[in-house]
Amino acid sequence: MILAAALAVLLYLNLTIGSVPLPLAEILKTLREGPSSGTYGSIIWEIRMPRMFAALILGGALAVSGFLLQTFFANPIAGPFVLGISSGAKLVLSIVMIGSMVAGRTLHSAAMIGAAFIGALMSMLIILVISGRVKKMSVLVICGIMIGYVCSAVTDFLVSFADDSNIVNLHNWSMGSFSGSNWSHVGVMASLGGISLLLAFLLSKPITAYQLGERYAVSVGVNVKRFRVELILLSSVLSALVTAYAGPVSFVGIAVPHLMRGLFRTTKPHVMIPGCFLGGGVFCLFADLIARTMFAPTELNLSSVTAVFGAPVVIWTMLRRRGGRV
Amino acid sequence: MDVLVSAEDLCAGYDGKAVVSGLNLELRRGGITALIGPNGSGKSTILKTLAGQLPPVSGRVFLKGRGLGTMSEREIASVMSVMMTERVDPELMTCEDVVSVGRFPYTGFMGRLTAHDRDVIRQALETAHVFELKDRDFNRISDGQRQRVLLARAICQEPEVLIMDEPTGFLDIRHKLELLQVLMKMVRERGTAVLISMHEIELTRKFADTVICLKDGKAGPAMPPADALGRGAVCRLFDLDEDQYDWLYGEKQALTGSDPVQGD
Repeated sequence: MILAAALAVLLYLNLTIGSVPLPLAEILKTLREGPSSGTYGSIIWEIRMPRMFAALILGGALAVSGFLLQTFFANPIAGPFVLGISSGAKLVLSIVMIGSMVAGRTLHSAAMIGAAFIGALMSMLIILVISGRVKKMSVLVICGIMIGYVCSAVTDFLVSFADDSNIVNLHNWSMGSFSGSNWSHVGVMASLGGISLLLAFLLSKPITAYQLGERYAVSVGVNVKRFRVELILLSSVLSALVTAYAGPVSFVGIAVPHLMRGLFRTTKPHVMIPGCFLGGGVFCLFADLIARTMFAPTELNLSSVTAVFGAPVVIWTMLRRRGGRV
Repeated sequence: MDVLVSAEDLCAGYDGKAVVSGLNLELRRGGITALIGPNGSGKSTILKTLAGQLPPVSGRVFLKGRGLGTMSEREIASVMSVMMTERVDPELMTCEDVVSVGRFPYTGFMGRLTAHDRDVIRQALETAHVFELKDRDFNRISDGQRQRVLLARAICQEPEVLIMDEPTGFLDIRHKLELLQVLMKMVRERGTAVLISMHEIELTRKFADTVICLKDGKAGPAMPPADALGRGAVCRLFDLDEDQYDWLYGEKQALTGSDPVQGD
């Protein structure tokens, strides 16, 4: 309920606030009339609505990806950003982007997502190798953060060698932003995000068993090997999707599942997966609103906003847990 | 069919290195078999191997006449339930949630619980004397209570074979007895076959039908408790001298300080 209300309010705010303020009546009128009706129409239909849906879907995808990773590693601070998965996706994607710029071609959506997915999987594999060797969660997280730094450094390095005119574009993206979303992007996000979300939801049952630990999951008949692969692929697809369109966005993946757990007082996946999706969407709508209005017309980068709000949540959760176990 | 689980010349261990070898056993319907041995003698390794969670180094395990390695997790789970020592700490799960995971092999694709499932869960909670804990957070109950909740989880899986690794470990004497009574009831009423590892020699003598002793990487033969856990046998098994044994289990009043107690 709270979530639905917050969602409604934020959807409204995201449409109404901007460099051209639009009153509610205008919005409703424009929505009724459909696209291509004057300035207001194009602001709403071409700029704000796609951006709004992008924030909603990608935010949700990130949060669900975070929830899956937290389940997988039985670690409360796992998330696509912390484990270096977003940064891995960013690295491979920027290599491909620069490559295509040099070749003078524009990249297709599918190629971008594919590249991000490969990057996400590469980071994931490194993390898995590490997690096979050390059982300590703190070590795992530190390694993830280091992978993230290395990938970001290499990306920065590549960016400084890229063609000048393209740098601004690439740089903006590598800081995270929902700007420049259009309807065809939203279509891809919605279909890919929707499918992944559905698949994640179908994994609810084994996820519940897995929350009791691997041995118990096996003992009630979960094929743990297959389940782990499914979980990894899904969370990689979700974070790759986000990275492909919005760049790496920090803290949504960690913070939102915690907030939702606090809100619903449960970890049941059939509540948490839709909950995280909505929560992530709300969180990103809010963050995006702040990013573009706080110092308008200058736009803040999204990751800074999500970090400001997300990091305290993580710290708070850590302190609240008994013994601060990592 | 009377024999539910059998192992032939089983060698159990990790990464191809044997921890225990030479295990031969048969778990029969309605029988209680206990594994006894010092710490590190491989009790857990054997239990994991028999539960299909660890591939055998050599030898074979059969579950109801079929090779364990050829069965899917789900097929195994519908016959066998396990209760291991490793710590379980789920976040924000009530005891009832934890118990209901035991219904997993019987529920459909999305894990929806039917009225029958809920019935079985309620009965399991009552049998393990944890019904009043059902809405409590699993992480905020005592170790002993947690152990009983895990027992309820194993019970509601309605297993024909129950494998338990030191289930009495955290329990006080009353709860130890209660847990064993619950097990004996399952064995009597449902014909469950129980394989259990435990450290309490005197309880094992009264509780188990068959005992297998583990020592120095070797599994002994299956024997009745009176033979397997006699004075001499226990002394050899745990490297006790007879003075220590008599002080522990016999009439002897004082333990002479001359012989230092050997650590395990």
